[in-house]
This record gives sequence, structure tokens and C-alpha cells, in this order.
Amino acid sequence: MLKFKLYYDKDAEEVWLREMSLKGWAFKKFFLGFYTFEPCEPGEYNYQIDLLDNWSGNKSDYASFMEDLGVEVIDQWWRWVYLRKKAADGPFEMYTDAESKIYLYKKIINFFKIFLVIEAICFFMELTATIRIGNFIFGIFTLLLGVISLAILNVVWKCKWKIEQLSNEKK
Amino acid sequence: MDNSSPLTEALFYILLAVRTPNHGYGIIQDINEMTGGRVVLGPGTLYGAINSMLTKGWISLFSEDKESRKKKEYLLTKIGREIFEKEVNRLNELVENAKKMDKGR
Repeated sequence: MLKFKLYYDKDAEEVWLREMSLKGWAFKKFFLGFYTFEPCEPGEYNYQIDLLDNWSGNKSDYASFMEDLGVEVIDQWWRWVYLRKKAADGPFEMYTDAESKIYLYKKIINFFKIFLVIEAICFFMELTATIRIGNFIFGIFTLLLGVISLAILNVVWKCKWKIEQLSNEKK
Repeated sequence: MDNSSPLTEALFYILLAVRTPNHGYGIIQDINEMTGGRVVLGPGTLYGAINSMLTKGWISLFSEDKESRKKKEYLLTKIGREIFEKEVNRLNELVENAKKMDKGR
């Protein structure tokens, strides 16, 4: 089964993959918003999504480390990795203390910040082009870029909020 | 994290778990047992902690089983032991001072 969805919040994405698993669909592959599923026992797997430090890095080291812990690396998209563990093997949470969770959210913010800058630059370039030329097509692109920029800004805000919550928890 | 700040629970217990050569799964199990199931390290937390401690030289790679599967074992280093002992001294100080609570002044 193939499903199209755009997620920019990995926590919500994890919940959705778990829900699909409960319905008997195991996530298999991701490409540009397209999720491939194959049948499984309802609730067979739990999912987690992780962001690697760098994308050339030691992927096989990471994968074999996880494999030893009963965690399977299903797919990788850029620096993002999709992981699953059999529900029968116990609960599955990649990050279990505030320090490592904060570290992850900081990594996610830095990842999206680069895109935010690129999108914002493109947005203003399109905006000036739209104003100067007054072309309808340019206007649509401007609007689209604006929406994407806001969506990314939203992720950064959400992560910041989560970091704040975790820091308060620690105190 | 600089060397003088208190260790996180995860780092403290990982150091303890690699006093003899230990691999990822063994570290999680040992910590689970030592704390009666209170501290169960997630794979991502463990991976990050191990890599940062390898970089800082607190632990070292002990062996790598290349034949069957790549199961790496880690071992406490001299620096790691010093860090651990310093932390234990700090904790002892806390406990010693805590006793004042019941003794009065």
C-alpha cells in the first residue's frame, strides 16, 4: 500500500506509523512523502525516527549498533533514519533522558534552520520579482514559498518549545 | 560537557557497566539490573553517550568481533576511571552532608 503524507514533525510521524502498524500495515519505504506499507500482524512494530549527526558518517556502525539492540534500520532519507523494533521485544524509545532528547531537538533545529534561510531567501527573491513584473505565476510561487517557510518556522518553534519543557523537567 | 560538571545518570552507569569489557546490549541489561529497572537506556541515548565518551577518551574500544557480527565491546580507560572516582567523591560529599538533616545542628 502506498500513502502520501507530508510530515515535518517527527514525533507526529512516529505516532502515525504506530497507528498504521496497529491497523496491520508495516512501514517499509519512504520517498518524497510517499510511504510504502506491507501487511503485518496488527501492532507488530513500534517506530522511531532519528537524525544522524552527518549524512556521510558511519552509517554501518550505527546500523550494526542498533541491530545488536534488536532495532532495525528500515530506511534512510538524507540524514533521517526510520527505525523499528518488534513490540514483543519491549517498549521502544530511542532517547530516554532529558539531556539526549534536548540534544536531538537541537540537531533538528539546526537541520531545519539551513532550509529556513534558503527558503526565506527564495521567498524574498520571488516577492521582488512578483512586485516588479506583476506576473500571476510568480505570485503563486511566492505564496508557496511563503507557506513552506512558515511551516519550517513552525517546526523550529515546536522544537524550541519541547527543549524548554525538557529543561524545566530537569530542574 | 566539561569534565568538572556532575555526570548524568546515563554516563555514570555506563562507566560503571564498562569496568569490564561490555557491549551495547550488555550495558543496557546491566544498568537495568543495577537499578531494578528504574534506568532503562534507549538505543539512541546509549549510542550518543558511547560516541562522546570514546571521543573524550573515557572509554575505549576493547574488541570487535569481525567474524560473526560486528559486536563491539567497550572498556573503561584510566581517564574514565578518574572521572568516575571524582563523581563518587562528589556524591559521597552530598550524602555525608545530607546526614546533617537528621542530626540537627
